[in-house]
Amino acid sequence: MQRAATLLLLAMPACHRAPPPGAAEPFPRVAAVFRISIPGTLVNFEMVQVPAGEGVPSFLMGRTELLWDAYDAFMLSTPDPSERSGADAVARPSRPYGAPDYGWGHHGYPTISVPREAAEAFCAWLSARTGVQYRLPTEAEWRHAAALATSARPLTRHRLDSLAWHAGNSGGTTHPAATKRGDALGLFDLFGNAAEWVVTGDGRRVILGGSFRDPPDTVGPDARAPQDDSWNERDPQIPKSRWWLSDGPFAGFRIVRELP
Amino acid sequence: MTTRRNFVKTGAAVAAGLVLPKGLHAIPPGHAEAIRVGVIGCGGRGTGAARDCMRAADGVEIVALGDVFPDRLEQCRMNLGKLAAENPAIAAKYRVTSERCFSGFDAYQRVLASGVDLVILATPPAFRPAHLAAAIAAGKHVFMEKPVAVDATGVRSVLASSEIARQKGLAIVAGTQRRHSKAYRATIERVHGGAIGEVVSGQVYWNQGGLWMRERKPEWSDTEWQLRNWLYFTWLSGDHICEQHIHNLDVANWIIGAHPVRAVGVGGRQSRTGAAYGHIYDHFAVDFEYPTGARVLSMCRQIDGSANSIGEWFAGTRGRAEPAKGIEGPSAWRYEVADTPGVISNPYVLEHVNLIASIRAGAPLNEGRQVAESTLTAIMGREAAYTGQVVTWDELLNAEQRLVPDVVAFGPLPTPPVPMPGVTKLARTFADV
Repeated sequence: MQRAATLLLLAMPACHRAPPPGAAEPFPRVAAVFRISIPGTLVNFEMVQVPAGEGVPSFLMGRTELLWDAYDAFMLSTPDPSERSGADAVARPSRPYGAPDYGWGHHGYPTISVPREAAEAFCAWLSARTGVQYRLPTEAEWRHAAALATSARPLTRHRLDSLAWHAGNSGGTTHPAATKRGDALGLFDLFGNAAEWVVTGDGRRVILGGSFRDPPDTVGPDARAPQDDSWNERDPQIPKSRWWLSDGPFAGFRIVRELP
Repeated sequence: MTTRRNFVKTGAAVAAGLVLPKGLHAIPPGHAEAIRVGVIGCGGRGTGAARDCMRAADGVEIVALGDVFPDRLEQCRMNLGKLAAENPAIAAKYRVTSERCFSGFDAYQRVLASGVDLVILATPPAFRPAHLAAAIAAGKHVFMEKPVAVDATGVRSVLASSEIARQKGLAIVAGTQRRHSKAYRATIERVHGGAIGEVVSGQVYWNQGGLWMRERKPEWSDTEWQLRNWLYFTWLSGDHICEQHIHNLDVANWIIGAHPVRAVGVGGRQSRTGAAYGHIYDHFAVDFEYPTGARVLSMCRQIDGSANSIGEWFAGTRGRAEPAKGIEGPSAWRYEVADTPGVISNPYVLEHVNLIASIRAGAPLNEGRQVAESTLTAIMGREAAYTGQVVTWDELLNAEQRLVPDVVAFGPLPTPPVPMPGVTKLARTFADV
């Protein structure tokens, strides 16, 4: 079955959200933005090429955090006959008893309240749907992108305010993706809004970048939080859900794709 | 004669520094005989409540389990065993043996007869009134999940059992855990102190997507299929306005300090129309009128792809309150107490902390009437939508409404019809429209 993804090279950095977000910071030039459609859905997402660095080959990274629009397409889809069955099958998230988005906003907002395994299951589903491998960034890839995003100028409080939703400006909720300025790489919300799952060398569950709940001095390229029991404290069921974090409104993710 | 209950109270009296009558030996704290707990209804919530109970206090032991389904019983045992294996503090309190694991329709009676002091009632709500009555008759303290009934007959039974519990000095705590949340308690205490003046209106919502559904297996009888998919049958769950939205309606009754007297509502079954989803509705909107004149708009929805909103908001003559967060207006105040490591702040655990402490202090909490009234409030909203009529508290409380069939074995059981406004009557039984 032909499952090739649509891969478009857009002439201008464009965003599907209207009105357009604040322009990216003027340096360096954003090389390219790729818009990718998810077959069988009306959902698309955008990726930006991150240049290579020491020990890190160039790769594509989600221009925004993964939005509910895409996650819903995964969650509400039914397995089709072309999907693998048995142990290789991609399971769908269980239905939450409650509102993982806390009613703050859904379409155009970053996916939150998801554990790392759920983010990885999304990547597996997207890979199966598109025939191209998507995954979470490694911690090295995320840090490399964060370093490039902030390398041109120091990350002052004023600059952080223009780039990131944090506890000092968020009002205690997530915000629509790409409503702060883009960074020097053309990425949005790398710091703040949702914190982002990465794959670590030792396998520990860690989110990076800080979130809308964190004070501004703790949001940025060095923000790193390992998961603890408090993130799923109030799930009243045993076994606790492996698909939702009952107390993790800050936990989201961004996907990456390797370049050939 | 020293009964187990006296014994436990004695230990608590010592701990509380009370003077003991002559002839009683002081028992060092921590050495009082344990409170022995049985679980009736071993699904995910019953298992979770057992865990929460073990986390709530020392001197508490889970000793017996009961469920109609042997597989659910085994899963519960396996999951609690796993928790015990991972956590020595839990292991010391987990004392379930094969001889005290019971399945079948009479499992609850066998748990009650197994030498327990306290039972956790966590089956689907249909069975709560009968299980509560049996537990109170047997002299057991009770933690029971919400809602506590699905029809007027069941609510009347719970009210009667709660009164008998009061006379017998037995504790009843319900799974309306917002009542044990520090933020809700602190905010509502201020509202009751006049922080927003008189409450004149409110909005209470539980709008979310759809919930789990178990595909029917060919070997399942009608009864087994309905029990395993209990959410989707009014006789089992009370419909989602009772099963889920009761949390928010309970907050309205709490903050106003009364139950509503009239309800007008709409509702329907718009997205979950397949047979797999039984016969319940997927949305309700209800206007509740309180004896103070306050009006509360209630909304609940379980429809995929729709906007989520869960919470409670109230307007008073001098400000507004959102009990989960705080107060706006001249007496503005926010609940901003950071959790202290080692101090329990999870309301699902606190409800057990408060229950056990009340038993040990000899002043048993009794939330029976309060949760029965909140259950009837939810039923009132449901019935306003189902019947299309104005429903008053008094006519509902006295209605000949008996939705739970006598189920004592697996076998044929039809899916009741979808309720139809203008046709469905308040006074009805299981099979009536």
